[in-house]
Amino acid sequence: MGLSSHLTLDTRRSGEAAVVSVGGDIDLTTFGAVESTLDAARGQCTVLVLDLRAVGFMDTSGLRLVISHQQRAEASGYRFVVVPGSDRVRRLFEIAGFPDGHPLFAGAPPELAGGDGG
Amino acid sequence: MNTRPEGDRFELLAAANEVADSTLLLANTAARLLGLVVPAFADIATLDSISPGGELHRLGSRVDAPRGREELEAALLRRHPLPDAPVGLPRAIVSSESQLLARVTDADLHAIASSDEDFELLRALELRSALFIPLRARGRTVGALALGVGTSGRSYDEDDLRFAEVLSGRIALALDNTTLSQTVTGLERRLEATLTNLAEAVLVREAGGQIVFANSAAARLLNIDSAHDVTEASPQQLMNLYDVFDEDGRRLELADLPSSRAGRGEDAAPLLVRNIIRATGEERWLLHKATPVFDPDGSLSLIVSVIEDLTEVKRAELAQRLLAEAGQELSSSLDYGHTLQRVAELTVPRLADWCAIAMRDGDLLPQVAVAHVDIGKVARVRDFEARHPAHLSDPTGAAEVIRSGEALLVPEIVAEVLADVALTEEEFELARELELRSVIIVPLAIADQAPIGALSLATAESGRRLDETDLALASELGRRAAIAVENARLYGELSEIATTLQRSLLPPDLPAMPGFRTASLYRAAGEQNEVGGDFYDVFEVLGGWMVVVGDVAGRGAEAAALTSLSRYTFRTAGKLLGDPIAALEQLNTALRESPALSLVSVCCVRLRTVDADAYADLVLAGHPPAYHVRRGSSRPVGVFAPFLGAYEHGGWEATTIKLDPGDQLILYTDGVIDTVGVEERFGEERLARTLSGATGAPDAVRRIEQALVEFAHGSQVDDTAVIAVERTSRGPVETNALGLGDAARVAPN
Repeated sequence: MGLSSHLTLDTRRSGEAAVVSVGGDIDLTTFGAVESTLDAARGQCTVLVLDLRAVGFMDTSGLRLVISHQQRAEASGYRFVVVPGSDRVRRLFEIAGFPDGHPLFAGAPPELAGGDGG
Repeated sequence: MNTRPEGDRFELLAAANEVADSTLLLANTAARLLGLVVPAFADIATLDSISPGGELHRLGSRVDAPRGREELEAALLRRHPLPDAPVGLPRAIVSSESQLLARVTDADLHAIASSDEDFELLRALELRSALFIPLRARGRTVGALALGVGTSGRSYDEDDLRFAEVLSGRIALALDNTTLSQTVTGLERRLEATLTNLAEAVLVREAGGQIVFANSAAARLLNIDSAHDVTEASPQQLMNLYDVFDEDGRRLELADLPSSRAGRGEDAAPLLVRNIIRATGEERWLLHKATPVFDPDGSLSLIVSVIEDLTEVKRAELAQRLLAEAGQELSSSLDYGHTLQRVAELTVPRLADWCAIAMRDGDLLPQVAVAHVDIGKVARVRDFEARHPAHLSDPTGAAEVIRSGEALLVPEIVAEVLADVALTEEEFELARELELRSVIIVPLAIADQAPIGALSLATAESGRRLDETDLALASELGRRAAIAVENARLYGELSEIATTLQRSLLPPDLPAMPGFRTASLYRAAGEQNEVGGDFYDVFEVLGGWMVVVGDVAGRGAEAAALTSLSRYTFRTAGKLLGDPIAALEQLNTALRESPALSLVSVCCVRLRTVDADAYADLVLAGHPPAYHVRRGSSRPVGVFAPFLGAYEHGGWEATTIKLDPGDQLILYTDGVIDTVGVEERFGEERLARTLSGATGAPDAVRRIEQALVEFAHGSQVDDTAVIAVERTSRGPVETNALGLGDAARVAPN
């Protein structure tokens, strides 16, 4: 397990959703790249999915990104869904007041919801 | 012909030799040779040359006759001998053998004549006896000599034939030399025409040094009126017109140039020189190449120099390199005083002999960098500067450029201008002493902003005249220096702000809380003084104390401002309201009012005592749990809830626990659990284990610090803040502020 900040990003369509899959670490050094990828994907869909199943580590920069998109989704009328993945990431969401079952995690395309995030 | 004395014949041969040795024009040579043999050895003579293609060309004719001599000569000159005549000239040529016609008969004349008219001409010559001799040189027939006697009444015999052959040998040589030199001259002319029109400058020097040829490109390059004027000068005279340096700025003499080296038989590798024309100060980069040309006997004949003008290429390259190196210097350090000095040094001597950079400081323009090819002069300039600091209101010079933002180029400083530009007699003297020739002053300015300084370049010793190209380069240098200085200033301000803020974010000493003791740890991230987003605070509220640890998402100045806002808002709200949830809601509202999404995580505790018992009301907002250590075992405390600043209503909940004497409550920021190790992050579980067995607040903090030091791998990426509160029975209150590596300050438990 490498702990230097590394990041992989992938955007794809799944029905009406644009899915941004992130791998690696989301922290101060990498969240900018995730942010711009999310912003780019947002314009192309009615549902924006942030797939964090391959994220090993995330800090508050990642949470800030999620909360920012959650608020923009409410204001702009698109749906924003997070697939949290690893226990560590779930724990972070839990600390930030997003326990399992929170609406933020509902509505992912079936193939994502059925993955290790489900 | 036997009557002729031998002495005459020797004279004739000697004269022919003389003609052969001189290189005259072919027509003159022929006339002189024919003049030698007529009338001494013949009454009639013609001389023909034969081209390598076999074509016969009559070079001259000579007739010694009492009447009609000129007409006869003219007729003979026009005459074309019949090519296939069985006797006479053509036959001698074809057979390469001399021919003696001791007695010329009418039959012979008929055989020789090409027409009736020709026959009449031959008859008119009254030819009695004739010799036809092919002229051979270097293995081939180069011409033919026809000799005849008539009116004199003489006739030729075998002896005459042999003498004529010997004579013809000399004549052939003379003819060949002339033809040869004429061919060479033709080649030379073609070569000269080629060289003259060549774009490259070409100079040809003789072994003795005299310049025998220069083309107009050479004249242009050397700044001399005409190619002819170049050949009039000696190489040293030419050299005196320039200051010549090698690429490293070393002065070169004539003897160092490839042409001189080639002349001495040394290796004459091409040499790139910086040529400064003394008269105009113009700089040229010239690539000198020299090739020696040797005679067949191996002696040096000529040195051909080709000089290529690489000024544009070289200056572009220098400009690029200078900007690249300056860029490196400018980005390598934030100490811009030092950096600018390095930049000034980079320009000398490549761009100028002298460079000074002045920075605006209020109304003063102190010189922050000076570089000169001559160290002694740097001291002189610095000394002058110290006694006469430049002022923004100075009418000219750097002050004017800084005020106007316009770059200044003075290609040629003449005394009057100097008197006009300089301010005082002393400055005038200084400029004279520095022998300034040319000056450029450019503003240090970022586009559309007021200049922050000025960069001055001047030439003196090199005699070089600065031009528009230099101005463009200097302007770019000024722009880049300005950006670097601004960056350094901003960074300097930032780290100053950071230091100040950091101090303001952390209480210098935790206040003493009766019945409790505290210990704390703060480790700022990384080497830079970039302020992080962690804060902690302890303050008294109505009926108790408030302890808070917070973390602002993000870094840098923005995060620092937010951190400051959070700490003071929470402190004020806490003091006024006394209730942690009410204080958090107040901070939440403040954060929601800021235009950008501002998220803060907080763990706050209100400590209060009811009778002899102490209670903690603990609230989390986007924050990991606190740890409650009781009798050596630790457990997490707190109800997770959203960040402050995220939502209008966060639904924060207080968890109340009773603190028995010896119990500790440990608050921390995520820098602790996010600390990077070799294989994983520190994590909550490791923190819980670390705290197990903690014997008091100072011990708890020391355990965490020690564990982090042992665990951490690589540089610390996030701030780390820890504050531990311990319930002491009713003993004396102790507080400790624990800094990085400051474990010694922790009082033993």
